Amino acid sequence: MGESGLKEFEPEILAFACHYCAYAAADLAGSMRLQYPTNVKIIKLPCSGKIDIIYILKALEAGADGILVAG
Amino acid sequence: MITAVRKPLNEIIEMVAPYEKILVTGCGTCVTIDYSGGAKEAAILASQLRIARRLGGKKLETLEQTVERQCEWEFVKEFTDHAAECQAIISMACGAGIQTVAAAFPDKPIFPGVNTRFIGMPQKQGVWEERCVCCGNCVLHLTGGLCPFARCAKTLLNGPCEGSQNGKCEVNRELDCVWQQIYDSLKEKGRLADLRKIFPLRDWSTGEDGGYRITVREDMML
Repeated sequence: MGESGLKEFEPEILAFACHYCAYAAADLAGSMRLQYPTNVKIIKLPCSGKIDIIYILKALEAGADGILVAG
Repeated sequence: MITAVRKPLNEIIEMVAPYEKILVTGCGTCVTIDYSGGAKEAAILASQLRIARRLGGKKLETLEQTVERQCEWEFVKEFTDHAAECQAIISMACGAGIQTVAAAFPDKPIFPGVNTRFIGMPQKQGVWEERCVCCGNCVLHLTGGLCPFARCAKTLLNGPCEGSQNGKCEVNRELDCVWQQIYDSLKEKGRLADLRKIFPLRDWSTGEDGGYRITVREDMML
């Protein structure tokens, strides 16, 4: 809680990660017990080239504040 | 193919502002191929409209449906159930499709989701060029397969104007002079003699100047 009493803005980030690199890196980070914030959610794509504007729009509609495409 | 471009989002938002439930319809033919009004573009537009409405603190419900072709009664009828549920319809088809939907559902307000541009072809990925103005009296056999009506800014019929320079059009230097292209094409085909044929004054009544056109094929009628 901030000094004003209002909850500080914590953006919900949805990460679309490539199966072959970014997702593997996140997986490795997990194996290494590296921490990352819980407000980042990861969705695995077969390739970051699979990202589509409609995925991004649906994510924003569903409540995501930001999108990360990693690949 | 008929080519179109999506209307600016703000224009569409303004058009449908009074309505709370809208049917967003895509067309599965030309506008799907040129990425302006197919199923995917209908889904994108519906999502954008919902987000915009929510940002304005109001509610919008959308249904999405795409049919094979919006310019035919048989396909447009498939919208009947969804149309009955909605207050208004956005059609992302070309002008012909939009008018077919408008006529099929006369009690519903219809809004165009795209601006229809021309009959043309994809020159390369992401680039479409105009090729045909539907003049109703084709001369492509005499012009090396290049249309002077669709591709000459002055619609000249008997050679280039004096503004043609280095193969470019004087109206827009980015554009090729079609009469230069016609000359090159006929030369390559060994048919330069075709240029000696003088086109007489043209009867444009076969084109749009003769009022809207109706083709009747009695042999095809039931």
